[in-house]
Amino acid sequence: MAAGENIVTFLAQQMIAAAVPLVMAGIGELVAELAGVINIGIEGLMLTGCIAAYTAASCGYGSIGLCAGILGAMALAAMFATVAVSGRADQIVCGAAINILAVGASGTAWAVFQNWRQKHDMSVSLPHGAGFHKWPLPFLSRTPFFGPALFDQYTLCYVTILLGILVWWLLRYARLGLIIRSLGDFPEACQAAGIRVRAWRWGAVLFAGGCAGAAGAYLSIMRTHSFAADMTGGQGFVVLALVIFGRWNLFGLTAGCLLFGFINALQQVLQTARYTAHNRLLESLQHIPFQWFQMLPYAAALLALAVMAKNRPGPRALGRAWPPETPGE
Amino acid sequence: MKIRQSLLSVGATVMACAAAFGAVLLVLWACGYPPLGILHRWLIGAVGNSYYISNSLAETCPLLLTGLAAGIAFRSGVLNIGAQGQFLIGAMVSVGLATRWQVTPAVMPTIVIAVVGGAVGGGLWAVLAGALERWRGVPVVLSTILLNFVAFYLVEIILSGPLQAHGTSAPQSAEIQGRYWLPVLIKFSSLHIGVLLAFCLAALLYVVNRQTVFGFQTLVTGLNPRAAQLAGIPVARQQMTVIFVSGGLAGLGGAFQVLGVTHFLIANFGSYGYAGIAVALLGRLNPLGIAFSALFFGMLDTGALRVEESSLGLPHNIADVVKGTVLLVMLLLLAFINRRRISPTAKVDAAATEGR
Repeated sequence: MAAGENIVTFLAQQMIAAAVPLVMAGIGELVAELAGVINIGIEGLMLTGCIAAYTAASCGYGSIGLCAGILGAMALAAMFATVAVSGRADQIVCGAAINILAVGASGTAWAVFQNWRQKHDMSVSLPHGAGFHKWPLPFLSRTPFFGPALFDQYTLCYVTILLGILVWWLLRYARLGLIIRSLGDFPEACQAAGIRVRAWRWGAVLFAGGCAGAAGAYLSIMRTHSFAADMTGGQGFVVLALVIFGRWNLFGLTAGCLLFGFINALQQVLQTARYTAHNRLLESLQHIPFQWFQMLPYAAALLALAVMAKNRPGPRALGRAWPPETPGE
Repeated sequence: MKIRQSLLSVGATVMACAAAFGAVLLVLWACGYPPLGILHRWLIGAVGNSYYISNSLAETCPLLLTGLAAGIAFRSGVLNIGAQGQFLIGAMVSVGLATRWQVTPAVMPTIVIAVVGGAVGGGLWAVLAGALERWRGVPVVLSTILLNFVAFYLVEIILSGPLQAHGTSAPQSAEIQGRYWLPVLIKFSSLHIGVLLAFCLAALLYVVNRQTVFGFQTLVTGLNPRAAQLAGIPVARQQMTVIFVSGGLAGLGGAFQVLGVTHFLIANFGSYGYAGIAVALLGRLNPLGIAFSALFFGMLDTGALRVEESSLGLPHNIADVVKGTVLLVMLLLLAFINRRRISPTAKVDAAATEGR
């Protein structure tokens, strides 16, 4: 945050920085939901990503941390899939269980890790080089206005953009996307076409786990270089809400994430006297309780659903176990 | 047959609890913590003396009510996962009625009004989700997730506006005056009368579920809404009643918690609503089972506090690890046992096919 930076640039940059983990986790959750699996444990998966990435990065390498974050969340996602996909248990309940487990496990693991760190006289912060730093893209980052906002970010931001484009293309034009969407809309057809519904759903859940893990790693070893109990602070639930907000569409999802990021950035601006001192608009905004803005994305999502939902909100088989019943064997 | 089945499910639950506890202690042992020491402290902290027991029971109360809220809704096929929001709204209405929006200075009426107001507040908040489903086709699962957040920020706004305590800038309510607290059953303990009422409600719901037309009709609706409709059960009206009662129970939990335990309100008021889903499942959606599982969760929570106080260096979150593991293990066990009659609907469908 260089001095003399103008407020629009700051807003745009913070907005995108805050939106990245949401989009990343959102892509995963979107794919899983399109495949018919709703995982409300995504908050727990992100939290697992945070702690796993942080502990592993303490060995000195950020890339190991990132991998650990992804793998840790995938391991938890595998537990979810074992129970909810293979075991056919209720997905909502499984997701709730995953959340509780992850909140507890990350808190406990954090305490255990700190004890261990004390015993071995390690420093209480990440070793130098273990956290990621921003990676401004050459040339692009110096473009006026767009440059700093879009191209002076952490590596994962660019990965997220590329992944988003890839997933959008796959969902729209590839056979893979067709399979995924039919898993959630009409699994009977998949069955008839010889596509193994449960195996594919497993894949979708694992993918969602990996995405959530990367998003968690972004929070702990990129944006903050620290860990705190419950540091995701409900962002996983936000992702759930935003997938609904975006009506199971990648563009809608991204728009929702940016809106959310913007509100986050706005909050930072309103708390910074440097920006608010001479700006009439910002001063007047300060008088409104900020919670109204924070409520906005959720209220907007509800309203959007209420206005448009009449025609089929979301994948038809969302939340339904497969196979739907056991034939009398 | 019936007895065998219920024995089986009780056995599965107990086994899941034991297995989960064992697994967690095993992992801790592998990390170099003394498992028996932890277990000992946990037990003492949960049921060691009358003080701890009354704490455990007080902790059980909100869990039981949110558990009943989730249980009654899930049983009739209403996926209300918004107990968190309904709990908060209930607590807010209740603290308001006991502090700034007081109707009368008399003690007993104020308490009753605050309790009833909290329940009605929670119920109406849930009905909002029910109405959205009925008239706008928004699934309850989705709307209740969103309404949880709306409730959270709404409560924060009200706590930093009309209900804010004097002399603070934080979003928190004033403390409720001592005479408007819920009466306690035993002097100087946290065992308020709400605990007793919550258990009575569980018993009442058990009877309603088993012995009344309403209980039967909602069960049928949950098993197969189309069959229920064809049989002439007013499904839509029934679902609305269920979601009102469900939200009301959660709101009541919030009211009891704020009037009986914390005596003031902040928006970060614990995650009892989310825990309620777990409680309901562990109790197999049966009110009596829910009472036992809430008791188990409450003891886990208070016992873990004692583990945290000891010099082992473990946080109280360890209770959550056990809870989550218990649930997952039990879900797996159930999947295993019910291999043949996996969903309740499967049975109805199979019967229908046979009949044809």
